[in-house]
Amino acid sequence: MQLWHSLLQLGLLASTAVPTVAASAWGFTDATVSVHSKGSGVGAGLKEKIPDNKGLSQPIDLGDADTLKLTLTSQEGSTAKRAHQVFLLLQDPETGLDISYPFNVKDNGKARVELAQKDLPVQFLSASEPLDARLLIGSFGSSKAYNGVAFQLSVTHDPNVPVPTVEAPKYGKLPEIHHIFKSDPQSPPVVVTLAFVGMVLATLPFLAVAWLFLGANVSHLPAAFKSSPVPHTIFLGSLFSIEGIFFQYYTSWTLFQVLPAVAVAGTVAFVSGSRALGEVQGRRLAGQR
Amino acid sequence: MPTKRAGASPAPPSITKSLSSGPKTLPPNASVFDIAHYVWQQYLATTSERTMLLDVFMVFLVLVGAIQFAYCVLAGNFPFNAFLSGFSAAVGQFVLTASLRMQTSNGVPKEGTKVAKSKDESGQVGSVSHERAFADYIFGSLILHFFCINFIN
Amino acid sequence: MRWSLSFFLFGFLAAVHALSSSGNRLLVVLEDASEKDSFSMFWSDLEARGYNLDFQSPKSDQLSLFELGDRAYDHLLVLPPRSKGLGPALSPKNIIDFMDKDGNVLLALSGKSTTPSAISSLLLELDFHLSSDRSSIAVDHFNYDTISATEKHDVLLLQRPGQLRKDTKSFFGGEGVLAFPRTEPHTLGNESPLMAPILRAPATAYSYNPKEGSFSVEDVGVTGTQMALVSAMQARNSARFTLLGSVDSLRDEWFSATVQAPGGKKTETANREFAQQLTAWTFKETGVLKVGTIEHHLAPTAEAPDVELNPAIYRIKNETVFSIEVSEYAHDRFIPFEVPSDDALQLEFTMLSPFHRLDLQPTSRTENSTIYSTQFTTPDQHGIFSFRVNYKRPFLTNLEEKHEVTVRHFAHDEYPRSWKISGGWVWIAGLWSVIGGFLAFVIMWLYSAPAPAASKTKKSQ
Repeated sequence: MQLWHSLLQLGLLASTAVPTVAASAWGFTDATVSVHSKGSGVGAGLKEKIPDNKGLSQPIDLGDADTLKLTLTSQEGSTAKRAHQVFLLLQDPETGLDISYPFNVKDNGKARVELAQKDLPVQFLSASEPLDARLLIGSFGSSKAYNGVAFQLSVTHDPNVPVPTVEAPKYGKLPEIHHIFKSDPQSPPVVVTLAFVGMVLATLPFLAVAWLFLGANVSHLPAAFKSSPVPHTIFLGSLFSIEGIFFQYYTSWTLFQVLPAVAVAGTVAFVSGSRALGEVQGRRLAGQR
Repeated sequence: MPTKRAGASPAPPSITKSLSSGPKTLPPNASVFDIAHYVWQQYLATTSERTMLLDVFMVFLVLVGAIQFAYCVLAGNFPFNAFLSGFSAAVGQFVLTASLRMQTSNGVPKEGTKVAKSKDESGQVGSVSHERAFADYIFGSLILHFFCINFIN
Repeated sequence: MRWSLSFFLFGFLAAVHALSSSGNRLLVVLEDASEKDSFSMFWSDLEARGYNLDFQSPKSDQLSLFELGDRAYDHLLVLPPRSKGLGPALSPKNIIDFMDKDGNVLLALSGKSTTPSAISSLLLELDFHLSSDRSSIAVDHFNYDTISATEKHDVLLLQRPGQLRKDTKSFFGGEGVLAFPRTEPHTLGNESPLMAPILRAPATAYSYNPKEGSFSVEDVGVTGTQMALVSAMQARNSARFTLLGSVDSLRDEWFSATVQAPGGKKTETANREFAQQLTAWTFKETGVLKVGTIEHHLAPTAEAPDVELNPAIYRIKNETVFSIEVSEYAHDRFIPFEVPSDDALQLEFTMLSPFHRLDLQPTSRTENSTIYSTQFTTPDQHGIFSFRVNYKRPFLTNLEEKHEVTVRHFAHDEYPRSWKISGGWVWIAGLWSVIGGFLAFVIMWLYSAPAPAASKTKKSQ
């Protein structure tokens, strides 16, 4: 906000200062700007004359190794005179940052300043728009000070060399962070699953068919039940009920419901099992198996 | 290979014949096919019918396990605990059944007439009776089932 | 009777104390007692706002910032001395200690005399930089008062400052023009986020040493908007230090002077209002934040509309609501705090580094506070996390809140049951067919008769 205020002030002052070249106003004459590249000849490079108290229309490029040289004669009214403030003010129109370079002023008002790219603050090197180069000429007393755009300065640099930047630490809002969750595991297509379920369940009939083919039977069942009906019934029943308890555990029961039930059924199976298997052994010893 | 097989082709009839009179050794230059055939015939001849039923059950377990494993490879192991318990139920049951087979078929039964007698003897020779082995088998299987059901959630 | 009297006294004191949020004992260090009268409007403004002013000369023997190891004053106002320093009681170390104990300091400079090196070293410690000769003044040939500084151009006319940045609050804005006579400018160090300029010089301004009889400045240290005329430093404990470049701007003559910029109209200065804003901010009448209640809980759902408040443990992937109540002290009471438009109050959910950093949104307002809240899902990572609100902004006191909670993993009964996951059906079928096969095998083993099988084998032979 402050920047805008000061820019506004500058604009107002410039508009009032430039047209009135009255006797009591500061100004300049004989102004030339030249850009001299290191390594090139003396006559090489750009050289422009700035009209009195006005600005150049086209921007001036300042490369990596270039030096900008600006000479002028400050004058109060139309007489050459030394001013207390003869500055070249560079301002970034985007950010409002500014810096001034004082001229080397002689008694007769002749002033010169040299500016290389390395003299510029780092923030200006990365400026996207050309900088405004203003001339500030003013001194004590009642004469009106001069403040006008002399030219636009565009800072060019080697595209292969990274432009240095500065990041001053400051308190402020930080970028938001949203945690990236691991994606949930996906079930394969239900069709595939159902096909495999079908294959798994198809093994049961396969088992039955293979057994029947090999002559499996339950022919001893009547005989077994005849000789010892109670142990066989209870043994089979307890076996099936243990598996049934397991199924209950799978669907709804808790471990503490399951354990006592299995303990009871297991004891019954143990007792009845030893009897039943004794009967089976009897059959085997009788050569019936 | 073809020359070998051609050379060995007259052998099978003699082997099948010799089977009826008990196990015979293969000629040392027998082909892979011959060995397989011989082993198969030997199996059919020397295995009791009850053990064969048990073997069918083991084949069933291998099938169930193989299908589950193929599904895991093909479609991913997403509920991994379900895969582990389903697959290990098949594998564990297979291992238990294999132990039961070792404990109940240690006696090599001869021909049909001898079956009863040899079984009698084998039942006494082993330190564990068939029924005791079967009881252990049931006990182990129930524990296996409990853990698998517990783990499958 | 005594009760009611003490209540009355207490109420009276409270009314007087009501202004600054951190006490009303103000030490004014003034070397020349005769100067006191030229600031009479400034003193009366301060007294009207409830401060107890204690005027002391820096040379006084009784002067001490501390009493029995604690602060003897809440605030310190130092006017520039003419002598070489401020004496032993106000050494840079003592002033820093005073700030460490939450004391606030307003230090004024003057371009009329050389600033003592003791003050310069205090400023250096806080990262304010004066020019090396410590006697520069700011001039501007474009924005000066043509009435009082026709020749010297050393009375700067400035707009009231607005926002420092778009995301900061403006405590010094308003209408009118400020007159800054004989200002000693300073620059701010670039490395510290604790400092902020309040008032900067215009781009055309520059500083020079009037004692050097030079006709033209050729070696200026700092120019334009990089020159600060008034700046603030707020320490990590929120103690405030304000540096005012021109003590003359506080004088009665400038509180209601008529000034005129070159080519401008005659206007009244707004120095009085600005001085009030400046002292109000420095002595913590404005820009003071307070946290009320902090709540975090699970987002209520249709199944569980009642949730436990501030639980110590959360599960991963829980929908969680966090809310914080923030008030801002403004002159004499707490008001709801509003975050500037480009700024945000942010919540971090951190374990070593933030997993979430979310902007908190204002959800409701009470008479003197705003409740900011947000809802988010706890990360899929278990561990000790903390809800962290770390709000440090220029001109506002620091808020730093940290509340630790445990984020646990799923409990064994919080996973979906196996049959709900279609991918597991094959293995479930496998398990149960093994069990079914086992039962069939048991029956077969127990009751299978070998007789027909034996005939079959016979047949096959």
